[in-house]
Amino acid sequence: MAELSDAGLVKLARKGNQDAFAELVELYKDKVFHLAYRMLNNRHESEDIVQETFLRVYKNWDKYDENQKFSTWMYRIATNLCIDRLRKRKPNFSLDAELNDQDGTADGYSLIPGDNRTPESEFLLSETQQIIHQAIAGLPAKYKTIMILRYLQELSLQEIGDILNMPVTTVKTRVHRGREFLRKRLEHKLF
Amino acid sequence: MECKQAASLMHDYLDNELPEEQALDLKSHLDRCVSCRTRLKELEQTDMLMFAAVKHSLPSASDDVLNQIMSNLPKKRRQQPWLGWVKRHPALTAAAMFLLVMLFSTLSIWKSDDQLVVKGADLDKVRIEGHTVIVPEGTAIAGDLTIENGNTEVYGEVEGNLTVIDGSLYQASTAKIAGDAKTIDQALDWIWYRITNTFTEVAYR
Repeated sequence: MAELSDAGLVKLARKGNQDAFAELVELYKDKVFHLAYRMLNNRHESEDIVQETFLRVYKNWDKYDENQKFSTWMYRIATNLCIDRLRKRKPNFSLDAELNDQDGTADGYSLIPGDNRTPESEFLLSETQQIIHQAIAGLPAKYKTIMILRYLQELSLQEIGDILNMPVTTVKTRVHRGREFLRKRLEHKLF
Repeated sequence: MECKQAASLMHDYLDNELPEEQALDLKSHLDRCVSCRTRLKELEQTDMLMFAAVKHSLPSASDDVLNQIMSNLPKKRRQQPWLGWVKRHPALTAAAMFLLVMLFSTLSIWKSDDQLVVKGADLDKVRIEGHTVIVPEGTAIAGDLTIENGNTEVYGEVEGNLTVIDGSLYQASTAKIAGDAKTIDQALDWIWYRITNTFTEVAYR
């Protein structure tokens, strides 16, 4: 079974072959986990996302279009689940609204407390890495997803567009803005 | 080139999407503009740090995740092939159900009913002996004659159709039947008879 290509596995799994499905889970579970972990910064929630993602894959085979890459479809399910979680977690106010009582540079994003549930691995991180992780955590959700897909999975802009169901031009703009956002965050601390 | 335009080209460059020609333009701008040079350097560093940091020290999902997923899969509902057919042909299914109900109801009537029934317009001349209906020699029955659950012996004349249901028909050499003489003793014939009869009866009422 290990010799089979992704497409072959997907075909078998779609027909209800559980071994093929298990193989697919084995192949992709870490990728989904890493994506979720970087989005949510929480190990437990990330494992939930992995489970939920593959459960949805299993239940929705009939909605899968074979002309599409399996990984694209799977990432789409996973990112949607992550975004839902983030949405539920965060208080509901407009992040882009400028706050008058702060000095001009501040907006809602700076008020969101960093996710204090520090995962075990963060203890081992150098100061530099902690600064970077905080910068990533501070990214607005719509940039965060894209930056994580870009840097973690090294996906092309086109693939990210397919996953998030948005035009490549939008993805591009957001990558650029996200990169600028991070640069400004890191500017005084690292450069 | 203005710095703003240069910035957008820098991002394209970092995305590996900058055509050579524009790359040269950007380079010539960078040679002249210190702040843009710093900016590109910072962006490049951000990029590298991101690649490194995002991937660095990622925990892996626990080994149990696979088992949990596999044991949580919904039990496969093996859909019956006929169920799929039913879903695709609702009208045919309804028709089939109707026929089935008809079949059973009529069959039950057919089975339970063993009373002798004689139907006709001119029954005075018919003689009934036990389970046998006799059309005596020399008599002429005007119109149709129908006999259910009984044997029929015809010596005389029937001017219409003669139908014998679930019984035997004996025609003597002297018998004369102007219309059709039929014997119905099979379920399907019986049902067909019931159906056509129901419709004609309804039509004439």
